[in-house]
Amino acid sequence: MKKAEFLSALEDVLQLEDSIDENQNLLDLEEWDSLSKMAVMAYYKKTFSVEINLNDLKNIQTVNDLIKLAGSNIDG
Amino acid sequence: MSFSKFEHVKISGISVVVPEDEINIYDEAEYYGGSIKKIDRMRKMVGFWKRRVADKNTTPSDLAYNAAQNLIKEMHIDKKSIDALVFVVQQPDVISPATAYFLHDKLGLSKDCIATDINQGCAGWVFGLHMVSQMIESGAYKKVLLLNGDTPSVNIDKSDRNSAPIFGDGGSATLLEYSEDKIESFYSIETVSSGFEAIVPPFSGARFGLYSIQEDEVFEKISEIRKEKVIMPTGNEVALFGGYLDGISVFDFTIKAVPKNIKDFLEYLNLTSTDIPVLCLHQANKQIVQSVGVEAGFDVEKVPYHAFENYGNSTMCSIPTLLACLDKNIDKEKMLCCGFGNGLVVASSLLNLKDTYISKVENFVKPTYVKTRDEYVDYWRKKIKGE
Repeated sequence: MKKAEFLSALEDVLQLEDSIDENQNLLDLEEWDSLSKMAVMAYYKKTFSVEINLNDLKNIQTVNDLIKLAGSNIDG
Repeated sequence: MSFSKFEHVKISGISVVVPEDEINIYDEAEYYGGSIKKIDRMRKMVGFWKRRVADKNTTPSDLAYNAAQNLIKEMHIDKKSIDALVFVVQQPDVISPATAYFLHDKLGLSKDCIATDINQGCAGWVFGLHMVSQMIESGAYKKVLLLNGDTPSVNIDKSDRNSAPIFGDGGSATLLEYSEDKIESFYSIETVSSGFEAIVPPFSGARFGLYSIQEDEVFEKISEIRKEKVIMPTGNEVALFGGYLDGISVFDFTIKAVPKNIKDFLEYLNLTSTDIPVLCLHQANKQIVQSVGVEAGFDVEKVPYHAFENYGNSTMCSIPTLLACLDKNIDKEKMLCCGFGNGLVVASSLLNLKDTYISKVENFVKPTYVKTRDEYVDYWRKKIKGE
């Protein structure tokens, strides 16, 4: 998956109103709540077959950190 | 994983009741800073919408009693022919004897009909079917009434946004009978007891000393911590004394363990998701239902969650409620029903409900014997005094 495609999917997963870029600090988003974290866990499992655990999410700050968790599934 | 198969157990009928009082999350905007947008977002992501709640005097057994009354009447069941009553409950009327004895008396069942409770939560309907199927398959019991009831909303403060928007109350009655003709049903039950603390009311029993009534210390401790609020890592403020629900850990467990259970079960059954018309999952919430269904290999359209949106998560009654909401024309010969929850436990079943009578979801009619708390205390005061 291309990075731009992921960003657009993430906006949908988190139900964001504004668009975000890879440098966005998730901790600054009001929407980065437990519902969003669960939605991201489900999305990664479904889309990339990647199982994210709670500790992974605790250490996340930016969208870039999230992209790294997808490994080679997101490029360009 | 433990698989089991039965060949002579017929599920003859199912009835469901829910309290008439409905709470709509759009009427609770005060808890979300008045923001309808926030509520819209939750509705879309997790399906929070409407839920049914019982009043404080109603117990799980009252809901189950009403569901049983309806089923007996609608199916013209001869009460004398019922030879076992099994009540699945996690909030019994009294700690002992089993609330099933109370229901047995109120329903007017025979002395030859045994009565017992099973303590299970969200997996309780499928778990109860599994236990009762063993009683019937052995030949010891021919006609068994399985009752389920729960009032999770009664214990949750409305301001507790971690739990309150999720849960609704309900009761169900299921009639299982011995069938001479071969009728197959299958179960897969998985116990994940390491998750015992993930969903639990920690101060509700002997571990906390709740029954040590001679000790004033217990009452002092209760009044001390009863009003204490604590902030969860998610930011939700909850009552320390209430029920604990580690939502995100439970979600993590659920989206991994439940789809695996279902996939292994299908493999054991030599079936694929295309053979199953509808996957009836415990209505935990929309996000969980859809994530589990898709991960288990089902098209999202085959995994309904509308019982959650309309009635809330009524724990062990959510699958019967969903069945009562399904289109009557759906082929019910291969119904895959899966409950999961506190324990932790995953309980999957493949049921033949082709000839099963399934009522619509009916409004609860409170039995006339239900007392207010003050009336209850007064009743017992007089009784103990011998008046």
